[in-house]
Amino acid sequence: MLRMILVRLALTVPILLGVSIVAFGLMRALPGDFVLAAAGTNTVSQEVIDTTRRQLGLDRPIWEQYGIWLQNALSGDLGTSFATKKPVVSELLPRLAVTAELTLMAGLTALAFGATTGLASARLRGRTDWAVRGLNSLLLAVPNFVIATLIVLLFGLYFPTIGIFNYVPFAKDPLGNIVSLLLPAISLALTVSVTVSENTRAAVLEVSSQDYVMVARAKGLLARTILGNYLVRNALTPVITVTGLQLAALLGGSILIETIFTIPGMGQYLFDSVTRRDYPVIQGIVLVSSTIVLLMNVLVDIAYARVDARVSYE
Amino acid sequence: MLEVRDLTATFNREGTPSQVVNRIAFDIAPGEAVGFVGESGSGKSVTARAVMRLAPEGSSIAWGGRILFKGQDLLALDERQMRDVRGRRIAMVFQDPMASLNPVMTVGQQIDDMLMRHMGLSQGAARKRTIELLAQVGIRDPEIRADDYPHQFSGGMRQRVLIAIAVSCQPDLLIADEPTTALDVTVQAQILRLLMRLRKEIGMALMLITHDFGVIAGMVERVYVMHRGDIVESGQVDALFADPKHDYTKALLAAVPRIETARRSA
Repeated sequence: MLRMILVRLALTVPILLGVSIVAFGLMRALPGDFVLAAAGTNTVSQEVIDTTRRQLGLDRPIWEQYGIWLQNALSGDLGTSFATKKPVVSELLPRLAVTAELTLMAGLTALAFGATTGLASARLRGRTDWAVRGLNSLLLAVPNFVIATLIVLLFGLYFPTIGIFNYVPFAKDPLGNIVSLLLPAISLALTVSVTVSENTRAAVLEVSSQDYVMVARAKGLLARTILGNYLVRNALTPVITVTGLQLAALLGGSILIETIFTIPGMGQYLFDSVTRRDYPVIQGIVLVSSTIVLLMNVLVDIAYARVDARVSYE
Repeated sequence: MLEVRDLTATFNREGTPSQVVNRIAFDIAPGEAVGFVGESGSGKSVTARAVMRLAPEGSSIAWGGRILFKGQDLLALDERQMRDVRGRRIAMVFQDPMASLNPVMTVGQQIDDMLMRHMGLSQGAARKRTIELLAQVGIRDPEIRADDYPHQFSGGMRQRVLIAIAVSCQPDLLIADEPTTALDVTVQAQILRLLMRLRKEIGMALMLITHDFGVIAGMVERVYVMHRGDIVESGQVDALFADPKHDYTKALLAAVPRIETARRSA
């Protein structure tokens, strides 16, 4: 087990290296650069442009720029933002915290809601099954930014006292912070809950027809014991996988939801930085997000082994 | 102890009812060992499960008639009362030991939960009893093995565990539905001997379901022969072997390979 974790962690290093090279190359392939984007529609002399580029190191060959970035990144320094002149790390971390909190809330909501509807639809069948599957189709068909917009409209029109756009920092008011993230978390959660619900339903149906569930009934066990120890624990593995992977994807930041609810998270930060061609920031966000995705994958594998003793990684 | 009268079982598949057990009657006395023989599809497994009122998951099955257990009609009990009968008074061993244990619980936990449910034992007392039971069914180092998971056991060992689960609450009746069909021949004999020994030790009745007359011989006193949902013949084992009346029974007996016939034809 420990060996597996170490091997998996070691494997993330070459993957991260590859991701950073691709991200670096892609950004440079986009038309324009920071200097041109900053100049905007103003007429700036070629001389000024050249001087600024030299100051930012953009005049060097691209592999040299990458080499410098990599060398700094390895020592924990992700560079300085072109736009704000502040270290990328210090700008990125608070935003990552906000996005992580939003994702965690969305994930828990999606897990609670999706697992409940999936379990209900598999166990009760009949009308409940139809209702749940209908709801899932609807939620899957409607993108989350539409749901978010509807929520904003609904609350803005009928409950104007609830400040939808008032993001409250956690340090200032922990409870207010959670309340302010509730609606965006729900907007994110509904789409994820479809995947959780459908996977829970399929897994529970599969487990229900297993012989050991018949044995459990023949033992005269209480319905709740059978449900908890026999059905749910066996149905958990596929649900853990999909939830974990969906959460990892969300941790990169949801640009649309963060923009709609004006939340200072990673998504908005990335969007602004791409528009400004703020290379160090983009590079930093890509590195951090892909690290998180890779770590989540390792965590999902560990969770497997915790839930199911048959899983060993020797 | 068990008196079954006019028992019917009807599956309902998409609105079309099909009756698979036709008004059968049989008796099992306390401590008696009774065999049910028949080919697959003869209704013997459905009959066994009717006594436990266990319907296959996701299917709709209707039972008719009366199943009197110690004078009480099991078909008239509600689900909650039936749960107190299952495992406690009537227990069951199934055909496929590889699929019958919960893969995410240790084998010890799967005996503990039964003891805690029916015998009102605490976690600690249940585990003590579990270890005794594992030893009783012939599992070596039961203290250590109780914490192992099913996948760490062979098929024969798993069937021993399932038998330990079934007899843990000292039931009055043990139903064994093809308990050796999925096992190697050498292991089959061991499991049958174990069932015989436990029946004597606990003093429980045994309802042994099989398609194999070879398994019946030496195990039970009386036999019911089932064919297409009917009991076509019944009687003492020796009498039935010596002088089968029904054509189907003769055909079943002829299907058992014998050493003498093999020698003669050689």
